[in-house]
Amino acid sequence: MPGGLNALKKIHDALARRPDELAAEKAKGRKVAGWVNYNIPEELLDALDLIPLRLGRGGDDRLVDTGARYISTKNCVFVRELVGLFEEKADPYIKAVDFVAFDATCMQVYRAAELIKYFFKVETAVLGVPRTFATEEGKEYFRHELAHFVGRLEELSGKKLTRERLGDSIALYDGIRSATRELYEYQAGDDPQISWLETIEAVQAGNFLDRRLFLGLLKELNAELREKQGQVRVRNPFSEARIFLSGSIIPPGDRKLISIIEAQGGRIVGDDLWSGLLPSIEVDIKAPTVEAIADAYLGRAPHGALPYLDLDSDGRMRILKGLVAKFKANAIVYHTLRYCDPFTFKANETKSVLNRDGIPFLEIHTEYAGSDYEAIRTRVEAFVELVRNRNLVEA
Amino acid sequence: MSAEPTPKNVYAGVDVGSLGTKGVVIRDGKIAGHAIIPSQLNSEEGGQAVLAKALEAAGISREEVRFIVSTGYGRISATYANKTVTEITCHAKGANFLYPNVRTIIDMGGQDCKAIRIDAKGAVVDFAMNDKCAAGTGRFLEVMANVFKVKLEDLGALALQATEIVPMSSTCTVFVESETISLLARGEKPEAILNGIHHAIANRVNGLFSRVGIESEVFFSGGVAKNVGMKAALEKVMKVKIPVPTFDPQLTGALGAAVLAQAFAAKEETCLVA
Repeated sequence: MPGGLNALKKIHDALARRPDELAAEKAKGRKVAGWVNYNIPEELLDALDLIPLRLGRGGDDRLVDTGARYISTKNCVFVRELVGLFEEKADPYIKAVDFVAFDATCMQVYRAAELIKYFFKVETAVLGVPRTFATEEGKEYFRHELAHFVGRLEELSGKKLTRERLGDSIALYDGIRSATRELYEYQAGDDPQISWLETIEAVQAGNFLDRRLFLGLLKELNAELREKQGQVRVRNPFSEARIFLSGSIIPPGDRKLISIIEAQGGRIVGDDLWSGLLPSIEVDIKAPTVEAIADAYLGRAPHGALPYLDLDSDGRMRILKGLVAKFKANAIVYHTLRYCDPFTFKANETKSVLNRDGIPFLEIHTEYAGSDYEAIRTRVEAFVELVRNRNLVEA
Repeated sequence: MSAEPTPKNVYAGVDVGSLGTKGVVIRDGKIAGHAIIPSQLNSEEGGQAVLAKALEAAGISREEVRFIVSTGYGRISATYANKTVTEITCHAKGANFLYPNVRTIIDMGGQDCKAIRIDAKGAVVDFAMNDKCAAGTGRFLEVMANVFKVKLEDLGALALQATEIVPMSSTCTVFVESETISLLARGEKPEAILNGIHHAIANRVNGLFSRVGIESEVFFSGGVAKNVGMKAALEKVMKVKIPVPTFDPQLTGALGAAVLAQAFAAKEETCLVA
């Protein structure tokens, strides 16, 4: 049974200390760089001696309403809550930032960047992202954009990027990504000592913690799991409803759908969320240069906000199918936030491709308000019944 | 001399919906009794009451029931039940019990609408539900019946009297209500407006099926299935033939729950529910 891991407790304790630590670091003159979206290479922030914080929380309808005073309600609740966080300025991480970097992957986030700068006088740096990510022109555009972005970061940090320091930072983040992938294998195994929820909470703690400390804690957690769980095996996937989570962002604080799935007896065994495992997959930085980072980031699984260019060969679909097979998931729950159009509009296409492979697919379209809780519960419960029934027949 | 039924052959299903609470009792694999009452504020008491009425109709005592399954939104407060199962699974089982060739179910209940596809054994293959909106539900039709000052059960028949369709610009309960009042004031015929309302809902239901597909035969379940105007509109919009039900379609979920109760008791499908 999951629970009781020493390293998890250390991560929670470190998170509790973090706001005070940040205040102390800032007092020593270090600058804090918040960032939002998917394509900001943290390696660059770290290499410029900035303290990176991945910003954004979810699940708070009050903050969504606050944000909606500044940004249209036709934007998703994550974006509205983000704006609400800046308006309220009570979150310790929002308070700590000296500037915020945004990339233009999701255009709603990009719009939020403009509003946050305009209304709350927050210094921003914006990174352009190509829509045609697979073409040579798209790659060239991103290399230029990233070079320009580095210039802006140097200006804001007052430091110059060096190849040596960038090499160290790339090694650090390669380590975090590798440890994250290993952690996900433990949660998917037989008799797991860690649940998927504990896993993603550990991973999302990394949004805020000192990244070197975080890597150490992740390694410690994996070592503890290795000792308690041994070699990861998945012997009998038919005995449970193993659910894979995909779709819109599920940031820290948004636990509505997760808690419903678990309460209905589903076991989440993996995800390809951009707030979960996805950023740790297929990042291959071949040299300590800005250009190599640009190529590696654009070579990752594209964010949902970018279009499907060829559905059957799209990297996102390949990774999704690969992870479903790797974690031996029986079915997919595809989470779409209301007005998160990039994922919502892809739901039917994604479902048709996965159904061809016999993978059951349930789209849950929701937001942070609790008014649809019962309706979601019925859908999820029926889906778990469907999956269990299929397992029974197949077994 | 006829043999008295033994307790192990009697099973019951209770479907506590938002507007109606339904109970079905099966004995020796056949429907023995059923009942429908308006849903009560206390869903536990409503479930108990409908169970008692269904048993009374069947001439069976409570002690003879071997296994009870509850479903519907009130299933979470059903201490009288041995198991709870979602209404989606129950409608599938109920439709399969009545019509083994059915592969697609349109379920329109008091507060939601579901598109369900099933296999030959009555297992759910895929499903979709409407969002948190009353459009296309029993509650919506109740509001419309109030606007037209007719009984709910007469609404569909009135729509069928129409020779034309007044298109509606929305399926939102609030907007349709105000649009209807405007159309009536403009002198449009009530039956033509109602026909338009039924077709607007049918179009919305058809949209749900774009997510799960349609496979013959099609069955229409839930309380709204009693509305002949709705049935006709769905047949026209979805280009399907829906059979005239031989058993009250509002009882399909409760019937499925009773069928599952029998299966659970026989330990055939114990893995279905938590």
